[in-house]
Amino acid sequence: MKPFRRRRSLGLLILAIATGLYAWLHLSWRTLSLPAPLRSGVFLLGLTFALAAFNARKKLPFIPLLSARAWMQFHIYAGFFAVAVFLFHTEFRAPTGGLETLVWLLFVAVSLSGLVGLALSRILPPRLTAHGENVVFERIPGLIANLRREVEKLVLDSENRTHSSSIADFHEARLAHYFARPRNLWSHLVSSPRPLNGLLERIDALNRYLDEDERVTSARITELVRAKNNLDFQWHLQGALKLWLFVHIPLSFALLLFAALHGWIAWKFIG
Amino acid sequence: MSSSPVPSPDDDLHSVQKPQRWDVPFWQEGRRRHAKAMTSEDVDRALSFEPFSRIDPALFPGALSLRNILLNDARIRKFKRGQIVVREGDYGNSAFFILSGSVSIATRAIDPDILGRRAPRKKGLLEALSQLWKNPQSPERRELGTADAPPRARRHQKKDQEKTIFLSDVTNVIEEREFQPMEAGELFGEIAALTRTPRTATIFAHESSEILEIRWQGLRDIRHRSPEIKEHVDRLYRERALQAHLRATPLFNRLSSDDLDRIAEATEFQTYGNFDWHGSYKKAQEMSPAEQLRYEPIVAQQGHYPNGVFLIRSGFARLSEPYNRGERTVSYLGKGQVFGLEEIAYNHFRRRQVPFRRTLRGIGHLDVLFIPTRIIEDFLLPSLDAESLPGLDEFDRALAPSALPSAIESPETSDMLEFLVERRFINGTHSMVIDMDRCTRCDDCVRACAATHQNNPRFIRHGPVQDGFMIANACMHCQDPVCMIGCPTGAIHRMSAEGQVVINDVTCVGCATCANACPYNNIQVVVARDERGRALYDAVTHKVIEKAAKCDLCVDQPTGPACANACPHDALARLDLSEWENVSERFQR
Repeated sequence: MKPFRRRRSLGLLILAIATGLYAWLHLSWRTLSLPAPLRSGVFLLGLTFALAAFNARKKLPFIPLLSARAWMQFHIYAGFFAVAVFLFHTEFRAPTGGLETLVWLLFVAVSLSGLVGLALSRILPPRLTAHGENVVFERIPGLIANLRREVEKLVLDSENRTHSSSIADFHEARLAHYFARPRNLWSHLVSSPRPLNGLLERIDALNRYLDEDERVTSARITELVRAKNNLDFQWHLQGALKLWLFVHIPLSFALLLFAALHGWIAWKFIG
Repeated sequence: MSSSPVPSPDDDLHSVQKPQRWDVPFWQEGRRRHAKAMTSEDVDRALSFEPFSRIDPALFPGALSLRNILLNDARIRKFKRGQIVVREGDYGNSAFFILSGSVSIATRAIDPDILGRRAPRKKGLLEALSQLWKNPQSPERRELGTADAPPRARRHQKKDQEKTIFLSDVTNVIEEREFQPMEAGELFGEIAALTRTPRTATIFAHESSEILEIRWQGLRDIRHRSPEIKEHVDRLYRERALQAHLRATPLFNRLSSDDLDRIAEATEFQTYGNFDWHGSYKKAQEMSPAEQLRYEPIVAQQGHYPNGVFLIRSGFARLSEPYNRGERTVSYLGKGQVFGLEEIAYNHFRRRQVPFRRTLRGIGHLDVLFIPTRIIEDFLLPSLDAESLPGLDEFDRALAPSALPSAIESPETSDMLEFLVERRFINGTHSMVIDMDRCTRCDDCVRACAATHQNNPRFIRHGPVQDGFMIANACMHCQDPVCMIGCPTGAIHRMSAEGQVVINDVTCVGCATCANACPYNNIQVVVARDERGRALYDAVTHKVIEKAAKCDLCVDQPTGPACANACPHDALARLDLSEWENVSERFQR
């Protein structure tokens, strides 16, 4: 068995044991004097803060606070465990009050965004690796700009040389838009080649109006279209890998804030 | 890698003194307690000894005169009885010449605790945490002296003062028959200094002694210009490297001293390729794989009679076997590994005559010791027990007609091997390997690197990819760091204890020699800036001041390499690629 699989099996086993243990404890608490929702709420709040501490750990790479790898494993499995605790805490029912509903919605949104992030971080990297040259995200706009300039120069030179507007017209109609910025987000996310094939078919169709000189230009433009397609792919997939954190982290901070407020109010009223 | 542009009057610049080769003479470096300033009389004294007395000073140009080299790249150190001069296993950047007294070479390993070996100083918890607010906002900030004032960094050098270590009671630690004396007029430590390898023995003062210590750059320049010194150093190198290497090889552990001497007498010292192999590497990278193979010198040819055993002393060798019309790499060998013993042992014990099964080729620079078959049969094979003997049954299986070529057994591993060998990544002892199927491109590694290096990342998350594994542009802390060869000041050096290759920012003159020599483009040359972000420029030449920058493996951080520690997805690891057996599993999916 490969180390990653072994680690995953171990994590799932610990998660199952912890969840079972918690369920048993939760049922045992019912007989104690302190209300069960208060106990589970305090535990859940502590767990949520522990999960959020991963972000603080990332900001302190120079302190020996265990490896980020260990924190990540804790974050994933403790996150699933927190969902189980949350279900027990809410007693598998929808909330009633305004603040409770807000905290409930935030918890669900944070959990779902975390789940989406986990799925993306497992699915997208192999696709990025398999697709072609890997490009650093921050360099992509500059590389697209270079391609755009090269296409514009090719089109202008071709028109000046051949006094034919076929390629220039096509650039105006199709290429200028395509090379302006990253395109076809959803097609790249679902790995659909349709937009690329469509554009290549149109370039192919354009060739019937071109002379030999123009066809050389058209062939080079085809290469640049493919290069741009790879950059778009890298941009969208790497963007998706970054973007989910921009949802997950602010929602987590909002959750911490409102969950703490909810806890304080509950303490005041029940206590 | 980059040239120093002449700044225009409109540029936002800060005038300072550009560091020069001998700004910090060797006697000032580290401010050793027992080192004093080199004087002209000291140089005269050193030059009165053989072989220095035979050097023709006319062979040295004015700026790099022999006297200047000795004045600046040498220092006289006084040692008391029992004081350690060099420790076995330390990476050395200097050689020693005994002016008076004598030293002893320990012929067996001494307990590291007794030798006072300690890990390099790391930041404390508070000091590490203070990076959170102390890191400068401007990139590549340096504290260099202005035209009038000396740099603060140099004034603070005293902090780095090295401590002296004594073997308090020599005869209690080591018996008299376990050390060899060395008298005045003898040179030692030159092997480690010139070959970028660890010291092979501990040497301590036998009595109160005066020793001339020469920075390896100085020794290199003298050796380069003086045929007498070259001949002297090369002779010592061959004699001592041979003895030391045989003694350090586990295969020869069971042999008596006499047998070892007989083996040493019959051993041939063979060298393949260039010592400064970075030039040939760049040429080789432009060739096709088949051309590259033809370009590599053959040490032993598959199908030939096994006339002896090849023991790798330094460098790397490729092991390949024919595969239809091509040649398939099946492994590589590094320091201490042996080629040919299996065949000789098989022929000896099975009474058969099989030739070499594989071809051995030198990659870059390769030093091997060749021990003839007769000597192996007479001395080595009788001394080996069943465990040490190469597996004869395995060999039987490999020779069977039904045996599959290794290329069919594990095709993916074979591709990775070819990739690592062709690009010579096998030189890396701490290569940054990123599993691109797990890497989410979050750049936490880059941010962690920047946070631990004053907001300047010291690597680029980019590099060649094979089978989904990227070898990123981060210093690999090579087994054979060719980047160190041309450094004029010794700024790029190995840490003595663990061998990490680091740059001393104070003595770096920004000449870019190391950056140009690094075969893997893992050293950058950056423009030094002041606290306001203004580029520093030399008051005299009006050129901007540059510094070499690279990964230092976070030697001073309590966490170890921040990049690997910061990767949440277990995608990034610092791997020792110099031994295939250690890493092959890591590359399997």
